[in-house]
Amino acid sequence: MKRAVFVLSSCICSLLISFVVYSCASAQADPKTHTVEIKDMKFVPESITVNKGDTIIWINRDIMPHDVTEETSKAWTSSVIPAGGSWKMTVTEAADYYCSIHVVMKGKIVLN
Amino acid sequence: MKNFKKLVYSSMIALAFITVFNIDSFAQNPKLTDPEIASVAVTANQIDIDYAVIAKEKSKNAEVLKFAETMTNDHKAVIAQAVALVTRLKVTPKGNAVSQKLLSDAAETGKALRAKSGKAFDKAYIDNEVAYHKAVIAAVSGLLIPQSQNAELKGLLEKVLPALNTHLAHAEMVQKDLK
Ligand SMILES: [Cu+2]
Repeated sequence: MKRAVFVLSSCICSLLISFVVYSCASAQADPKTHTVEIKDMKFVPESITVNKGDTIIWINRDIMPHDVTEETSKAWTSSVIPAGGSWKMTVTEAADYYCSIHVVMKGKIVLN
Repeated sequence: MKNFKKLVYSSMIALAFITVFNIDSFAQNPKLTDPEIASVAVTANQIDIDYAVIAKEKSKNAEVLKFAETMTNDHKAVIAQAVALVTRLKVTPKGNAVSQKLLSDAAETGKALRAKSGKAFDKAYIDNEVAYHKAVIAAVSGLLIPQSQNAELKGLLEKVLPALNTHLAHAEMVQKDLK
């Protein structure tokens, strides 16, 4: 009886471990690239949900320069993205961002 | 400035608030050709660049200076697009009553701005930017876009509208911060 319980619980345990290992591995295995268009003075989409490690590429479709800057502490910035230009960043944390050239333009990165 | 608004509003007869203006404004309902529209568009953008030049000379407020820098770069970008378009279309912008009115009003406003300094200047500059962008937005959407014959000219003006609205929101934000 004791032995049966031990076997059963170690089975469950290893199942759990392999599940955790598997899901971690798969999350790291395929980082995705997402696109945010800067168009008609807006970030499209305005809010984007990604996994940690994914890459976001911002493409400036307007005739004027824009930038992508972390809003709360200016932790990171693209610097000026000229008309027709683009900039990409690998996401390590969630952020509220804005365009420091046109301060009313705002966007958001949400983590899964 | 005030007269330019009159011109703009006179083109929007349907609007009830037109009654605040005297009956003379109804007589001025400008009909513009594409070369004239191109001239008004370039002039309106150049005027805001000129206001920004004054701001860069006179202001010491970082937020005001940053706004002026954005106005300079964005309105230059619009003019560059407009020049590229009229060059391609082989259209020569043609001066007209609206663009002349814009220029004479801007000369007056520029003079009034130069007479001020310090916080009073910052306030006057930003107040004018709010009023000017409102007037230009009304002119572009109520006069220039509806009267454009060429689809590409109309398209460029439509593309400029969101930028003007963003500038207005930005100016209103600075206006609030100055209080
Ligand atoms: Cu921007």
